[in-house]
Amino acid sequence: MLSSDALAQIDTEIAKYPAEQKQSAVMAALRIAQTEKGWLSTETIEFVADYLGMPAIAVYEVATFYNMYDLKPVGRHKVTVCTNLPCRLQGADRVAEHLQAKLGIGFGETTADGRYTLVEGECMGACGDGPLCLHNNHKMHTHLTPESVDKLLDELK
Amino acid sequence: MPHIEIDGKTIEVAPGATLMDAANQAGIFIPHFCYHKKLSIAANCRMCLVEVEKAPKPLPACATPVTEGMKVRTHSAKAVAAQKGVMELLLINHPLDCPICDQGGECQLQDLAVGYGASASRYAEPKRVVREKDLGPLIATDMTRCIHCSRCVRFSQEIAGRMELGMVHRGEHTEVMPFLEQQMHSELSGNVIDLCPVGALTSKPFRYSARTWELSRRKSISPHDGLGANLQLHTKDNRVYRVVPQENEAINECWLADRDRYAYEALNSEERLTRPMVRDGDKWIEVDWQKALNQAAGALRVLRDTHGGNALAALASPHQTLEELHLLQKLMRGLGSGRIEHRLGQADFSGDAKRQGVTWLGMPIAELNQLQRVLLIGATLRKEQPLIAQRLRQAVKFGAQLNVLHAADDDLYCRVANKLIVKPSAWVNALAQVAKALQEAGASLPAELAGQLNDITVSDSARAIAASLNTGERKALLLGAVAQNHPAAAQLHQLVAAIAAACGAKLGFLSPAANSVGAQLVGVQSGPVALDAKGYLLLGVEPELDAHNGPELLKALQAAECVVALTAFKGRVMDYADVVLPIAPFSETAGSFVNMEGRLQSFHAAVTPQGEARPAWKVLRVLGNLFNLAGFEQNSAEEVRQEALPQGEAGIAARLDNAIHGVALALQPPGAGIERLGEVPIYQLDPLVRRAPALQQTQDARDAACAWASGALIQRLNLIDGEHVRVRQAGAEAVLRLCRDDRLPDDVLRVAAAHPLTAGLAGRFGAISVEAV
Amino acid sequence: MLSRIKHFFDTFLLTELVRGMSMTGRYFFARKITVQYPEERAPQSPRFRGLHAQRRYPNGEERCIACKLCEAVCPALAIQIESEQRADGTRRTTRYDIDLTKCIFCGFCEEACPVDAIVETRVYEYHGEKRGDLYYTKEMLLAVGDKYEAQIAQDRAADARYR
Repeated sequence: MLSSDALAQIDTEIAKYPAEQKQSAVMAALRIAQTEKGWLSTETIEFVADYLGMPAIAVYEVATFYNMYDLKPVGRHKVTVCTNLPCRLQGADRVAEHLQAKLGIGFGETTADGRYTLVEGECMGACGDGPLCLHNNHKMHTHLTPESVDKLLDELK
Repeated sequence: MPHIEIDGKTIEVAPGATLMDAANQAGIFIPHFCYHKKLSIAANCRMCLVEVEKAPKPLPACATPVTEGMKVRTHSAKAVAAQKGVMELLLINHPLDCPICDQGGECQLQDLAVGYGASASRYAEPKRVVREKDLGPLIATDMTRCIHCSRCVRFSQEIAGRMELGMVHRGEHTEVMPFLEQQMHSELSGNVIDLCPVGALTSKPFRYSARTWELSRRKSISPHDGLGANLQLHTKDNRVYRVVPQENEAINECWLADRDRYAYEALNSEERLTRPMVRDGDKWIEVDWQKALNQAAGALRVLRDTHGGNALAALASPHQTLEELHLLQKLMRGLGSGRIEHRLGQADFSGDAKRQGVTWLGMPIAELNQLQRVLLIGATLRKEQPLIAQRLRQAVKFGAQLNVLHAADDDLYCRVANKLIVKPSAWVNALAQVAKALQEAGASLPAELAGQLNDITVSDSARAIAASLNTGERKALLLGAVAQNHPAAAQLHQLVAAIAAACGAKLGFLSPAANSVGAQLVGVQSGPVALDAKGYLLLGVEPELDAHNGPELLKALQAAECVVALTAFKGRVMDYADVVLPIAPFSETAGSFVNMEGRLQSFHAAVTPQGEARPAWKVLRVLGNLFNLAGFEQNSAEEVRQEALPQGEAGIAARLDNAIHGVALALQPPGAGIERLGEVPIYQLDPLVRRAPALQQTQDARDAACAWASGALIQRLNLIDGEHVRVRQAGAEAVLRLCRDDRLPDDVLRVAAAHPLTAGLAGRFGAISVEAV
Repeated sequence: MLSRIKHFFDTFLLTELVRGMSMTGRYFFARKITVQYPEERAPQSPRFRGLHAQRRYPNGEERCIACKLCEAVCPALAIQIESEQRADGTRRTTRYDIDLTKCIFCGFCEEACPVDAIVETRVYEYHGEKRGDLYYTKEMLLAVGDKYEAQIAQDRAADARYR
């Protein structure tokens, strides 16, 4: 199901906890699985559950609780735009509208070519640098304007 | 011991207790939803907020431990405001469909909303709607009503042992659901209905059939497994509408297995017999009681007079009441017959003369939770005794080591320390290994046994089990139904007794039926099931399913000159009986059961018998009168009980003894070849369960209709799992679907006994072959 | 003494008779208030509590959801309900009987009903030739409802603001 490389990474995470508490590594394991598979299918979740000796529903609880886990296939580039109040006061709604218009998709949707997925995000703890977005759960882009968003999209081919 | 003041009352509470415990102790009610005394603390409903002096905010009483000098106010303005606020929040998304909700009238949310809520809602926005979940044939869902107390989730995790439900998504979108549209397969699943404080989880068979305020509550005792769970039968218009648990901490706590909860449907089954019938050539005619009884008594009398008393034999179900069994044996002994048996499923009666008393659990049921070392021998525990499995699960949680000897490595939903999974014919040898390992570790075995163990090679698992049993305190060795029906049951008993003595453990029998102990107490056991009698009296048995070797017994019954069947259900009784007398099941008669811990539990009739059915004790009494036997003048079930057990419960204790002496061991190595593991499936235990439609739709019931083998065995035999196969055993055959279970050894085929599809097979154990159809 | 004298004169002057006849005479010429039933009818309040009816929704679906609150509240125990889950999953009655010989027309059933299914109409001219004729089943009650729905709806609307 997962590559030996991914399994090795999960094993490293499991090793951080006492042997009888393998399930502590569930979040890390899901992250690693998602990085490899792109998203978390029910099969992936079942595999992680088996690997950690947990009930599948318990893993599913975790996967649905945190919205950085994708339970549906996403595009190559997942752009999460914060629309909470501080960002919005700094123009996040304009950025979001621009993105939606430019990509022709709404929040939670993926472009037909499978390139971009747009997600509405919650506060990322960098309100001073807003408006901001997160690219593929890892890289944050700050002080966005419609123009800088265009530039960003061009970079993300 | 800390002292606290709660609503002005100063009380002393145990250290570590919560405010909820303290309030209960002081007799003060604090409203709550998620708190349940048997489940872990979640504190997620927030209904139990109380004011604690010096705390800045109200605190949840269920999760706040008491400290010295705490001053708690449960009804102060601050506490009431908090409770009111929480109630308003809970009601925001709760639909106002109480009139069609089955929980209406017994709903915690309804009650507390009246007591702690506002009179009108300020919420005018749309309410959320949650899609229904399919949890199987037993539980109906209305998930929109869920208030996310998580009791069902914690129950499945902590009590049922397998997390089948979870809280998925979060915040406004939180939903309780199983993973991937799966159903709930737990044999304890029905308890979530009682736990659910709202109408989100309700009983499917009961759905919309009655309101709680119309139902009369009648206490009763479960007639199924040997636990003797306490029940409440809810009745209306002379009909049992549902069954809920009656709390009894010493027996079933506040739980009930699905078998006890849903078997009531059979009480109103189409299969019920309501009029006496006699055979007239090939025809059956319905007659009145007088005629049927006269015909039965006449035919049996002729047989007795021509062939002697022992030409008559009686077979009784251990699910019948003590009173009925007592009168049956009295009648038979009065007729000069000593052939009365209730252990139809048993194969080995050689230990009968060597046993010292009535076999029982060997300890009170409540002590199971405190055990530290357990060896389960031949017990398909979750299916045989769902609530005993639950108690052992709790024991394991507190550090007990559970060891298992069985022919299937079933998941007990708890940690198993060591296991010996071998085919049934190797069990005697496996136990001998454990005994020898104990001997090598310095324990002393009885001399008669010690000498026989020389040739035994001890395996690692056996040594590990012995090592486990050699440590710790409060140990028990428990023999399950499979071990009791094993072809070498006496040897298993002997070995287990020796091991128990050697390691200082208690020896217990997990009585398979509600009245197994009672049947022994009144002497309804006389050795092997009679196959050569001229006349049979059957009490509540279905011979083709209940017997160890169904076809053999069926043949004997068909060859007999007269078979009088006292039964509540039609079944196949027309195939072999000559007179059929309809009797009342447990809900329609007074009686008692003696459970596996030797507790005598009596109950009254909840409803009157259907049609012309009559309580079996009355029928037997009249039969006694017709034979002009002395001592059949009892006027009530109490009188019969008084006669059967003059000293009541006190007299029972003295007769309980699991000791056995002098069984010779036959320690030849087990043969090669595939063996059958024939267990009584969970929903084929007794005539009632067999006719409960909802239970028959469960996964467990469907599983029982298959032949199970490991993947390796299926491959070796060139078969395909999922396809139908023909299994052959001692000349008989059956066609079953083959299913794969890698938890079985490679030389075991699991084919359920007591199942209509396998009733043609001869014997529950022994060599079996399987081939493609 | 005085009363004896008064009695003496009353005896042959027939004053009681005159007083009585004057009362008769007064009513003889007064405006008549007798209602000439059945040619004439007494006025009825929209809250009149007469024969029961089961109502339907405009789409023809019966309103009753078998909550059994009317059965529970009925002080005369005149209502008998049995319920089941209908094939479409809704909660419905399989039996809804009102024994009108038991009914005391208190209107509690109407008050208790959460869906205005059981109502009491203005109809009071029903009869039975046998005792059993006044045992109204679900079909009979629905038929009453179908017949008088317009009047029932109008009466509920008139009373709505006081509910």
